[in-house]
Amino acid sequence: MSPFLFAILVLFLGVKTRNLLVLFFITSLSFTSLYLFFQNTIYELTLSHEVHIFLYIIDFGLLLYFLYEGIKHKSSLVYFLAFTQLILYTAVIYIAPHIENVDFLSDELSRMMYLVVNIVGGAIVVYALEYIESEEFTRLKKNFFIAMLVFFLGVMNAIVTTNNIEIFFLLFELTTLCSYILIRYRGDDIAVKNSLRALWMNQVGGVAILLALVFSITAYNTVYFSELLKVIDENFLIPVVFLVIAAYVKGAAFPFHNWLLGAMVAPTPVSAILHSATMVKIAPFLILKLSVVFTPALSVMISLFATFVFVGASVMALNRDFFKEVLGLSTIALLSLIIALAALPNEEAKYAAMILLVFHAISKALLFLQAGILEKNHHLKYISDIDTLTDKAPRTLFFIIIGFASLTLPPFGAFISKFLAIEALTQALQQNPLYIFTLLGVIIGSVFLVILYFKIITKLLTKEAFKYTKKENLAFKYKLSSNILFILLLIGIFLISGLDMFEILIPLTLIFIAPFLFKLLSFKNAPRVNEYNCGEKGEFEVGVFNYSLSSNIVQNMMYVAIVMIASHLFFGGVL
Amino acid sequence: MIIESILILLAPLAGGLIYGLERVVRARMQNRQGPPILQPFYDMYKLIEKRSSIVHPMHIVLALLHFITVWAVVALIIFGVNFLYVIFLHLLATMFLVLAGFSVKSVYSHIGSNRELLAMLAYEPIFILIATGFYLLNDSYAISLIRSDDAQIISMFLLFLAFLLTIPLKLKKSPFDGCEAHQEIVGGVEIEYSGVYFEILYMAKWLEYVFVYLLLLLFAGNNVVLGSILTIGVFLVVNLVDNSTSRVNMPDTIKIIMGFGLTLSVLNILGLVYV
Repeated sequence: MSPFLFAILVLFLGVKTRNLLVLFFITSLSFTSLYLFFQNTIYELTLSHEVHIFLYIIDFGLLLYFLYEGIKHKSSLVYFLAFTQLILYTAVIYIAPHIENVDFLSDELSRMMYLVVNIVGGAIVVYALEYIESEEFTRLKKNFFIAMLVFFLGVMNAIVTTNNIEIFFLLFELTTLCSYILIRYRGDDIAVKNSLRALWMNQVGGVAILLALVFSITAYNTVYFSELLKVIDENFLIPVVFLVIAAYVKGAAFPFHNWLLGAMVAPTPVSAILHSATMVKIAPFLILKLSVVFTPALSVMISLFATFVFVGASVMALNRDFFKEVLGLSTIALLSLIIALAALPNEEAKYAAMILLVFHAISKALLFLQAGILEKNHHLKYISDIDTLTDKAPRTLFFIIIGFASLTLPPFGAFISKFLAIEALTQALQQNPLYIFTLLGVIIGSVFLVILYFKIITKLLTKEAFKYTKKENLAFKYKLSSNILFILLLIGIFLISGLDMFEILIPLTLIFIAPFLFKLLSFKNAPRVNEYNCGEKGEFEVGVFNYSLSSNIVQNMMYVAIVMIASHLFFGGVL
Repeated sequence: MIIESILILLAPLAGGLIYGLERVVRARMQNRQGPPILQPFYDMYKLIEKRSSIVHPMHIVLALLHFITVWAVVALIIFGVNFLYVIFLHLLATMFLVLAGFSVKSVYSHIGSNRELLAMLAYEPIFILIATGFYLLNDSYAISLIRSDDAQIISMFLLFLAFLLTIPLKLKKSPFDGCEAHQEIVGGVEIEYSGVYFEILYMAKWLEYVFVYLLLLLFAGNNVVLGSILTIGVFLVVNLVDNSTSRVNMPDTIKIIMGFGLTLSVLNILGLVYV
């Protein structure tokens, strides 16, 4: 709970004290989560009735605030959804049974999430301390930004612990609030527009949770996850299906992907924290939590849908030019992959999903931080503008390459996850032939992602003859946060099982020997020449290739997505 | 262990010999005399003596890494480790080559790298599905297990056909030789290398031959006779096709390989599971 108080404290401090305090706080938070991770005890916490009442009041306040924002900005969707939620929420409170149960429960899954949220999120906050100073806002507004980020981490910690679906709903709405405020932080037209879109889309998730609550109470008379998952009947999974839909919304699966892409207008640390440590990670977390009760039919349905989004988003990303947008679409793709794996019936797949969840967070955070550095130090936002980075920013380039490579190539965590996933899917194939589509999707989608990442890297890497590399100067906090994430990536490889030691070491040495070789081997004796150009004199600009999808196809993909989500209900309920 | 180590050390030489033999066979098919079998090694001598100029060091280092990685891939296949892993390590090798191609500001090099990436889109899924097929049969990805097992070519026949489709692409043979198409894009990635540095890339290419033929041998399992027949047969067929077809452009290459290859592979895998 302490992040909440801390966030308020941060608001009123000067730069130096604030920085010191945040650093101290993040470090202690990280160590606590590490400590918790290695301790195998389960913590439980039950809130008293008064606290529950207090939480109800906060929730009503929150929904009223959304309603007010909807009216203020004349956004009928926000307005309408907030209103629907108010009604549903009142109904839920009215019919909710008063059976006491544990409100907060930290199990293995939540301990793993603590690591992701606090350490990766913490590194991003450290980065944000530096980043926000280069913006032109008032002191209070800057502090507010940091406070909001810390508060966000606090909400995330709570949401992965809670066992009460009502409280889950409150926290879900709080993350919506955080993202709404952070996205509109810059306050210009486009920021407001995108933040409102994020608001209404996430409210769809809120409505889904409330519907899940209504069905859960009427059918099973409980508002607790643990209870619901224990007593649920295989023939009536509707509450679970609604929770899954809420997860899709947070995970920005099609057709809800636009809110996450719109979030790019916010300062880069916001994108980083939304994409890696918080917000979108609720989706795979929720699926992992619920997956114990999935029927075979529902499991196939979810993994097919998620694979569809995985391939779709990877292909869509191929024709984007805005660096952060490419990263955003690849987040959507990989999140869907995690969801697809989490929904599979076998344990290996779930393990693979967890590994991917952790490593995706680290890699994406690293990449977004570099995107921020490119924007701040080099004023580069579009891939087509980024040219010959080798000469200007070798360090940033190195981290970008590692970030991308760690999502696809051996020996990094995400690779090991895919590796295990292919094996798990092969096993699942023996149970249900439909998994062949998931397998195929995973393979082809991964190849598309490789092409996407390397098309970007290659654009950055191009180096002209007779140009020499300069040293890159970076602010300390930028370096610190990037290095932390980088080291996490490396340590992580050795912590997970899946590959033999030498299988890890071969590619690792190959990759890490490269920068040293660049420095060591200068080939002094070899004469330098210019590039061969068939005798032509003309200059040539390095371009990137695009594979564009027509808007028609994208439109159709959205329809397919909606139909698929709708059919979840059918599979969960009627069959 | 010792035999394997020797085999690994000899792998580039074996690749060179295959390459030399191929030039002879191809020439004979065209009613020409052709160069001697050892021509690739003579070429090597010639290259070392040439003046070797470079564009920038990073370019050379990446080629070196490509060569080392391909060699490591070949070594791991000989040692018989995890098949799926080997395929991904080979992906890393390809990526080094692609990066090398893109690291210089040269039009032809870029087109070559680009096509290399696209080619990967076509053959990578098929390779992974082949690994999946072996997994379904053996419950393991271990290459050593595949090699000590009976020949699986009958039950994996469609996957084998899909693999045959990818061989010309991998070895840059017509009709799928868009990656380095000499008349068209002046050798693609290779263009900016010269002298002894080109030698690195040249030897990496030999190792690719060894890689492909080692994968081919897996279909024969522990059956040595079948293995030799397959190697010779595929060698002749690939060269015959190389001689008798014209180049297909890159988009069509991908459509053909992905379309036919993937369909065949998927059918085979479903067959393995349910028949």
